[in-house]
Amino acid sequence: MKYRLIGVALIVLALGLSSHAFATPSNLLNVLRQASLIFLSASGLTLVIVGAGLDLSVGANLGLSACFAAAAIKATGTLSSGFAAGVACGIAVGLLNGLMVTKLRVPPFIATYGMLWMLYGVNYWYMKGDTIYGFPPDFRALGSGDLLGVPIPVYLMTIGLLAGGIFTRYTTYGHEVYAIGANAEAARLSGIPVGSRLILLYTLSGAMAGLAGVIYLARLNSAEAGIGSPLLLPAIAAVLIGGTSLFGGSGGLAGTLIGAIILTLVLNGMNLLGINSNWQPLVTGVIILIAALIDSVTRRHAELHA
Amino acid sequence: MLNCMPDERALYMTSAGSLKFAFNGLVLLIAALVLAACGESGNKSPETTRESVALFTKNQTNPYFQTIRVAAQAAATELNVDLVNYIPTSNDSIPEQMSQIEDAITKHPSAVVFVPVDSKAMIPGVEKFNAAGIPVINLIDRSDGGEFVSFMGCDDYAVALNTARYLFEKMNGKGNVIIIEGQGGSSNNQKRVSGFKKALEDFPSVKLLASQTGNFQRAMALQVTENLLQAHPQIDGILAANDAMALGAIEALDAANRKALVIGVNGTKEAIDAVKAGKLLATGDCDGFVQGCMGTMAAVRHLKNLPVPKEVIFPITVFNSTNYQGADVPYEQRMCPKWESIVKN
Repeated sequence: MKYRLIGVALIVLALGLSSHAFATPSNLLNVLRQASLIFLSASGLTLVIVGAGLDLSVGANLGLSACFAAAAIKATGTLSSGFAAGVACGIAVGLLNGLMVTKLRVPPFIATYGMLWMLYGVNYWYMKGDTIYGFPPDFRALGSGDLLGVPIPVYLMTIGLLAGGIFTRYTTYGHEVYAIGANAEAARLSGIPVGSRLILLYTLSGAMAGLAGVIYLARLNSAEAGIGSPLLLPAIAAVLIGGTSLFGGSGGLAGTLIGAIILTLVLNGMNLLGINSNWQPLVTGVIILIAALIDSVTRRHAELHA
Repeated sequence: MLNCMPDERALYMTSAGSLKFAFNGLVLLIAALVLAACGESGNKSPETTRESVALFTKNQTNPYFQTIRVAAQAAATELNVDLVNYIPTSNDSIPEQMSQIEDAITKHPSAVVFVPVDSKAMIPGVEKFNAAGIPVINLIDRSDGGEFVSFMGCDDYAVALNTARYLFEKMNGKGNVIIIEGQGGSSNNQKRVSGFKKALEDFPSVKLLASQTGNFQRAMALQVTENLLQAHPQIDGILAANDAMALGAIEALDAANRKALVIGVNGTKEAIDAVKAGKLLATGDCDGFVQGCMGTMAAVRHLKNLPVPKEVIFPITVFNSTNYQGADVPYEQRMCPKWESIVKN
């Protein structure tokens, strides 16, 4: 965890020295706002991966939830209906994922990959290539507004981080998730109801994707069927860069926040420095690898000298 | 058989492809039954078989292609032919469009209107149509190879150039601008960005502060604009390589309480609404509706042995507050233009 902060610190230092616009309060809040959206979409996914599962449907789920939320707001004129529709869609998808993985024993990759395509299909059929746009200012504030000078998505991220921290650290459920991720068979033999815990995790991942969908809708002021597809890989990357192991049993939400911040800083820095668009994918790749390298080198160093 | 395959059902079948993980057996069974029933009725009454046109578009998510499909259907209805849609379920998927070409050839449509997902990778697919003796109209994105009755498209460079000039005139020829580029490696993007930059040469007092990619995506364009607003305290104009990114940039301006004139490319319905609301300065376009109509009309003209030019470049419109009314009509209510009003000899 602390080794990952070294990577963030180095990026921040380099950008602070090379761009006068970087280390300003308004830009740092800007970075946090952008990171909070990645964090929200990746937070439930983090817990699924800690439990040695995988949810490839988060992006598609986010997109479908955003479209349903948009349609609900347009149909009823009330913001709470949009909120309810988005989160309910997310929960339903997550629950289905959980049931497929536990009851039907479909491997998580395949279950959620299949779900991804089903959700795209439903969304394409539902939206028919249209865009739903134009929402009231009080709804849009959820994604683009400020409260006491701090972007509203940052508050949501903080709530998610605290709630997730309490869940993983101080509840039996939370401990059980790590036990299942480390060794599901051992967890089952020690009396943990593995199936129901996994269903809970996938449902949670779906719920967070649904919530993130509503926030994205508020931020973009529009929803189209393709809205979620570019968001899957950054979400997975944030979790893994943050140090959560794809094999389960270790990692957590604080790491995912760091991963989200690293991903956001890379784009922010490239934009501020005006890096040529053609070089941006290469720069992104190099910085992500350097961040991972710093992590593994410092960690090995610390282990040798412990 | 093709009587049983109108537009809507073709759409449904493409989505069914992506639903297969859930109800694969059921859907395939129903599809097979329907196809079998259609095939039977088609065989019994060959004299009622109408001409059919297969329309290949790039994806289901871009509203632009939805416009093309609606317009193509309007033309098909008017000309009394059947239209069958082929749309990849993965956006712009090369292998998927390739296998859809093979599917289409087995059904042997009378003609094909073809928007390649990739100008080079789809050449072998076009050659398959050629080998099967099916005439092909190449629409919107020019294929680098294969035989075509006609190429009909829009000059993206000229669209970007005209729209950028309109912006710079509205800026009185001076001020700071940023460009939000589309996806690197896309030829459309390259042409649009060079059009923007050509216009900059004509206005030496307009300063380009930054040119950064938003990948043609609204969310990324929003994020990139937020970042650029941090870096540059004075931005007077934003040139986006498509409408979705222009609208994302407008959201970033609104949230930051900043003002700038914004232009996009495509003339989508959402962009026209934004022009109407005074949020977007202009969107440049070769009317997508006209393109969808003309593709189908060209295919039918060819089947009727009427002349079709080897190349048709569509007229450009820069939609702004003074002329958006023409585009502000729901596509479902619009009529296809007369062939002669677009193709002048």
